[in-house]
Amino acid sequence: MVLVSAVRDYINRMLQDISGMKVLLLDSYTVSVVSVAYSQSELLQKEVFLVELIGSKSKESMSHLKAVFFLRPTTENIQYLRRQLASPRFAEYHLFFSNILNDTQIHILADSDEQEVVKQVQEFYADFVAIDPYHFTLNVQSNHIYMLPVVMDPSSLQNYCDCVVDGIAAVFLALKRRPVIRYQRTSDVAKRIAQETANLMYQKETGLFDFRRAEISPLLLVVDRRDDPITPLLNQWTYQAMVHELIGIQDNKVDLRSIGKISKDQQEVVLSSEQDVFFKSNMYENFGDLGMNIKRMVDEFQQVAKSNQNIQTIEDMAKFVDNYPEYRKMQGNVSKHVTMVTEMSKIVEERKLMLVSQTEQDLACNGGQVATFEAVTNFLNDESVSDIDCLRLVMLYALRFEKENPLQIMQLFNKLSSRSSKYKPGLVQFLLKQAGVDKRTGDLYGNRDLLNIARNMARGLKGIENVYTQHQPLLFQTMENLTKGRLRDVDYPFVGNHFQQGRPQDVVIFVVGGTTYEEARAVALQNATNSGIRFILGGSVVLNSKRFLKDLEEAQRIVRSSTNAI
Amino acid sequence: MATRNRTLLFKKHRDALKSVRASSISSSSSSGGPVIELVSTSLLHPNRSYTPLSTEDPGSSSRDALTIGLPPAWVDVSEEITANMQCARTKMAELFKAHAKALMPSFGDGKEDQQMIEVLTQEITDLLKRSEKRLLKLSASGPSEDSNVRKNVQRFLATDLQNLSVELRKKQSAYLKHLRQQKEGQNGVDLEMNLNDKSKVEDDDFIDMGFNDYQMAKLKKREAFTLEREREIRQVVESVNELAQIMKDLSVLVIDQGTIVDRIDYNIQNVAATVEEGYKQLQKAERTQRKGGMVMCATVLVIMCFIMLVLLILKEIFL
Repeated sequence: MVLVSAVRDYINRMLQDISGMKVLLLDSYTVSVVSVAYSQSELLQKEVFLVELIGSKSKESMSHLKAVFFLRPTTENIQYLRRQLASPRFAEYHLFFSNILNDTQIHILADSDEQEVVKQVQEFYADFVAIDPYHFTLNVQSNHIYMLPVVMDPSSLQNYCDCVVDGIAAVFLALKRRPVIRYQRTSDVAKRIAQETANLMYQKETGLFDFRRAEISPLLLVVDRRDDPITPLLNQWTYQAMVHELIGIQDNKVDLRSIGKISKDQQEVVLSSEQDVFFKSNMYENFGDLGMNIKRMVDEFQQVAKSNQNIQTIEDMAKFVDNYPEYRKMQGNVSKHVTMVTEMSKIVEERKLMLVSQTEQDLACNGGQVATFEAVTNFLNDESVSDIDCLRLVMLYALRFEKENPLQIMQLFNKLSSRSSKYKPGLVQFLLKQAGVDKRTGDLYGNRDLLNIARNMARGLKGIENVYTQHQPLLFQTMENLTKGRLRDVDYPFVGNHFQQGRPQDVVIFVVGGTTYEEARAVALQNATNSGIRFILGGSVVLNSKRFLKDLEEAQRIVRSSTNAI
Repeated sequence: MATRNRTLLFKKHRDALKSVRASSISSSSSSGGPVIELVSTSLLHPNRSYTPLSTEDPGSSSRDALTIGLPPAWVDVSEEITANMQCARTKMAELFKAHAKALMPSFGDGKEDQQMIEVLTQEITDLLKRSEKRLLKLSASGPSEDSNVRKNVQRFLATDLQNLSVELRKKQSAYLKHLRQQKEGQNGVDLEMNLNDKSKVEDDDFIDMGFNDYQMAKLKKREAFTLEREREIRQVVESVNELAQIMKDLSVLVIDQGTIVDRIDYNIQNVAATVEEGYKQLQKAERTQRKGGMVMCATVLVIMCFIMLVLLILKEIFL
């Protein structure tokens, strides 16, 4: 509950001290922050009767309302406020900023507030989108930038880093802790972000981060997405991850309009573990179990519906009226989940994902080279397998057998490019260049040291429960190492001279380049085991394979155009 | 959950800037509270705008509007509803107390309690009904922001009202249940019904012998009795219907929690979409209006031409 409740508390505190009718003004980012944690009806209870995006062109003067602004302290927002304050529309202005304001910004605001309508200026550090209790994202724009080398586009990389650093800082301010910071050695961008964060927390704003707590400091671990490129490439079979992979989740919202004709009230649905009990208990279940649970829910619902049908006495009527809201809610929920699962199984059927995914998992976990090569070639020859699946298979194969057999990989490249011209042939090579074996720190396939090889073999002997969910993300290993205190200092060095004393109780793992819901699931399951360490996962975005490939493509395009220019 | 309050710093800057400004303009207000400041500026403005040489402040109108700006009329309505509901709430608390008291075993026949409960219930229902009627008046049409605010206010009040009425009904039914249990405890079976049944059997026996006076009187009495019952039943049904209607009206307004309608960002997008739609409609309307004017103009011209032609012909003929 940590992250979501922190944001909720912030919003509560923002609204409760201001009496009377209010209007809440948000920018395009804080809308996401607020809407994943708070609902419209709750806002109404706090007497917020209008929510507005800043920059909308409305000019109506509403002097009977008090304005509550919750904005990021960006230059554009400050300029907007300046214009607002010059000719105020509302009776009072309460300004809340989601991050640290600098003195010039306050100066500018004070300068433009000639009529003294501003009642308070506060910093409330809810600068992250808390999609699940232990999972947050920063929804960074143009996420591909982290893959570019520094010299390519220094200013936008700087923007990217600032954005991420601000987000991380806000998370720790919300938790009221100052962490020790470690980063992944082989990644430049992770190192840079770690150092800038440390600079902010220990030098620039040292007073703000000084909470005078005697406990052991928490740990911030900054890792790079490219250390584990296979997780975002795999097909997923647990509910939340699967929805994101096949349909796409944006701020806990699923847009079903793209899939086809669906009744009007189901075109966009909410999948929030906070509000939906069924989703909460099933978000980490695999597809088969999910089907069973949905069937049970439908049966239950049918029973309720039947009991609602035979109304004979007035008492029945009264009971029906009493239960009606509950009934309607249940109905909406049932049809939502049923629609979703139906749509997903349709997609699975269409794209032959059962077969594809089996090979994917083989590539990710076991890796019998001959067998998988054959399988991948077969898929490439099969017309009914979609292009994106083929591309992913080739990528997985290339990542796995990068050093073992370059010849076969070349064969696959040729096949892929002859099959579709949509994906430029260089994309797989670009991925290898970005996330190849030389760039990685972690032991992605568990074949670098003897211990891991032995463990893998033991797992193979034990047998696997489910072929489709046998892959464990690298993050799982990292967490295990952290709990046992075995994460090597050489690979994940500390920033500055702030070292860990004892085992941390809170660990925030930030993945530069984006997290996946599979990793979020691993974190949630790890937290459920009560190992004494609480993990929080964060990333610049939440990836699915489509998004990951798009980022890759974008980065490749920029790199190529700049090398052409030179 | 760290926060940092920058208001002091902000105010310091603001005051500093103000004093700078004051010294540069030389005629400005002292550092008072914001209210005083507003009034004094609005008093100053007329003087300034009448001086012919004044070149500054085109924004004075907005400032004046700010000081004058009264809330729109619907705010009063919403306040009235809130007051009504507050009243209903206190009455309900009283009612529950009365319920509890009536259920307690006592030596009197409890007539007063009963009466009080009845009166209170009636009052509360009235209040709720009135609030509901006022609430429907709050709704506004058109995609403007103000109407949006109104819709949200309406929703807020509707949710409150619904909760209130649900609570009332729950308490009432609980009370009735208790009451019935007590009665059943006292005299076990419903004697009256048994008696009725028995007399019915008797009636059937005598039916082919014709009616005597006694029987006629009895029949009349029973007819009246049935009428009475029917009326009561109708009343109950009516009240149930009324309640259902209120529920239905309100449920349109109340948001289902956990659905897309309850999402803040969805609502914002929706607003943007409707505003855009409204703008388009407006443009269309304007176009048609202009077109209408043109058509009118043309018609007038044509008619004029025709009249002139007639006049010309007449002139040719008669002169």
